[in-house]
Amino acid sequence: MDQRILEFIGDLRRAEIRISPSEALDALAASAEVGLGDRETFKATLAATLIKEFRDQPTFDRLFNLYFLDLEALGEGLKKALGPEDPRVQDLLDDLMADENMELDELTELLMRGQGSEMEMAIRSGGQNAGLERLMYFLQVGFFSRRISDKFDWSAIEGDLERIMKALEQRGLDPGQLARIRNYLELRLEAFKRMIRQHVERELERRAYRQGEKLTREVLADKPLFALTPDEISQMKSVVARLARKIKDALALRQRQEHKGRLDSRRTTRKSLQYGGVPMEIFLKRRHREKPKLITICDVSDSVRNASRFMLQLVWSLQECFSRVRSYVFVSEIAEVTQAFNTYPVERAIEWALKGAPVDYHCRSDFGFAFSQFTKTELDSLDRKTTILMLGDARNNYNDPQAWALRLIRERVKGIIWLNPEGQWGWGIGDSVMPLYAPSCDFVRECRTIGQLGEVVDNLVHHWWRRGR
Amino acid sequence: MFESVEEVQQRFRDARYIASRRVSTVVFLAARMGRPVLIEGPAGVGKTELAKTLSEITARPLIRLQCYEGLDEGKALYEWKYAKQLLYTQLLRDRIGELIADAPSLPDAVAKIAGQEDAFFSYRFLSPRPLLAAIQAEQPVVLLVDEIDKAEPEFEAFLLEVLSDFQVSVPELGTVRAKHIPLVVLTSNNARELSDGLKRRCLHLFIDFPAPADELQIIRLKVPEVPEQLARAVVSAVQKIRAMDLRKLPSVSESLDWARSLVILNARELDPGIVESTLTMLVKHEKDLERVKGSLDKVLAE
Repeated sequence: MDQRILEFIGDLRRAEIRISPSEALDALAASAEVGLGDRETFKATLAATLIKEFRDQPTFDRLFNLYFLDLEALGEGLKKALGPEDPRVQDLLDDLMADENMELDELTELLMRGQGSEMEMAIRSGGQNAGLERLMYFLQVGFFSRRISDKFDWSAIEGDLERIMKALEQRGLDPGQLARIRNYLELRLEAFKRMIRQHVERELERRAYRQGEKLTREVLADKPLFALTPDEISQMKSVVARLARKIKDALALRQRQEHKGRLDSRRTTRKSLQYGGVPMEIFLKRRHREKPKLITICDVSDSVRNASRFMLQLVWSLQECFSRVRSYVFVSEIAEVTQAFNTYPVERAIEWALKGAPVDYHCRSDFGFAFSQFTKTELDSLDRKTTILMLGDARNNYNDPQAWALRLIRERVKGIIWLNPEGQWGWGIGDSVMPLYAPSCDFVRECRTIGQLGEVVDNLVHHWWRRGR
Repeated sequence: MFESVEEVQQRFRDARYIASRRVSTVVFLAARMGRPVLIEGPAGVGKTELAKTLSEITARPLIRLQCYEGLDEGKALYEWKYAKQLLYTQLLRDRIGELIADAPSLPDAVAKIAGQEDAFFSYRFLSPRPLLAAIQAEQPVVLLVDEIDKAEPEFEAFLLEVLSDFQVSVPELGTVRAKHIPLVVLTSNNARELSDGLKRRCLHLFIDFPAPADELQIIRLKVPEVPEQLARAVVSAVQKIRAMDLRKLPSVSESLDWARSLVILNARELDPGIVESTLTMLVKHEKDLERVKGSLDKVLAE
């Protein structure tokens, strides 16, 4: 069984669940404690020792069912596949085996004794060197089934069966009985061949599952954002959530290292009075790192809406990294949507910002107008701790770019970072005014895929806000 | 301590705690393997209660460490009573003088004082906090580290060290090793991602809101005076409210409170009037309250 659990752990790892060697050992030790008697208990045991994140639970459940449907359910299924056991025939065969001391092939013995789980084991070990790891498509099932069945020596089995029948004949059984026994053994042989095929099919299912999981994640992370289907968008949300958590975890680690500082002489002296002037307790000044303020400004016109969606999700999932986050959306008019994020959970707030904010969603993007409006109303609220994270393709529909407005904003803030969901080769071509805005920005990045978005934000959180503090 | 998973389940039941198969399995494993259990889940699903019940059924005293922001090793492990130590040395100055009066030289005097070191550095001046108390305990205990997610990551790292060796070093006194491995239960509301190390060390248990049938059982068990009909209505209403998009979902303890208050008000069934006046027992945010009141007919529908 240990082998099976280890295989299972291997597949969990391939499905990107982190399991350390010590946890694997725990799982083995724990399952030895509870035994395999009760499936629920066994499952709870593996879950408690291996799965430490709630989000991994569904993957665990599905894989567990693929692996351990076995035991009881499978035992039942096998019994059915092998046909009803004929106790009288079985008795006769057992007698024969006990008396005659025949040299039989291993498989024949299995067929005679008829233990479903042992057959399963035999098939599995046969499959191990049949190159099952190359199994990928349904069309290959027949091929691999044959490969596994080639491992067994069928002619030896046929021969064994003949010998058994002969021995029984010599014992003076009547033809009717003999026919029944022959039929019984042949049925079992048949069933065994079917089991091989089933085994290969299940293996395929397992493989398809783990490949699928990984592929979706990898492919989605590199797919241009504008090309995502609604279905993919909903899958993406969990990818972005994962990303946010990763960035946050790394940040927590860094904050831990920042706690030590210089001696706080004032507090140390004051405390020492309690001990007659002896500085018994030392206080250190905690270096206080001020959290940055962040303003996001998102173009929410059709062409870049997806990029805005994920950037908003990422930023708001990271909001505890900032002292304050404010968000604006625009097409040509600009409106603040921060309130929605303070009231609703992130997902709903994003939906609202993309569809329900008080701006006209159906006009053509006008960056210049949005910036000039922004300077009119919000300029006073900007300060040197604020960073502006701008997301847009800078396709201005030949409107006045009003680059002066962005320059004015830049003078008031710590920096402007522009994420452009359009490929770099398109900047400045056609109605793109990116080259006009770029000089006001501290840096401009292409951000076509989630992978790139993650890199940029990670970079910001770890480097941009570190400098100069 | 426990012979089987079934026994765990039964004993929890006897102590009026409904433990699912999963919960019982994890408790059983923790007891067998001497591993800490990390329980995660939304507020008010009985995480702390589980630890309390565990201490009750194993007849082990419960030592509780409530975590909060700014909790440090000193507050969790032990405090050295400097003031008392200083006071003692001040008061005993004369005795110390006598002790070294006949010492012929300075090194002799130092040696004499060194001989008395135990008097100055002893448990007398140490006040144990929960962690040390759990390790020092003469009899096995249940240690509950509540809301570990509220403490800072450094503290978590420190706790991990304690939990893997069950020993701590007190610079003044040396290493204290646990006489018995305590049963450790950590709870977290997921306010913050816990470190991988801690998760690796612990058996992990996620407790979610109970299924309707389980919640009904819990209400019957904890508020036996509630009429069957009403109990069912309460469960159905609470489950529906939990399905709503609220800032804070009603916990099990809140639905128990609600059932209790309905009993006190002598309610026989849930009518809109009584629900509206008692809803604050269940829903604690102003905005949530408005929303639930807005769809009261849906919540109360059979």
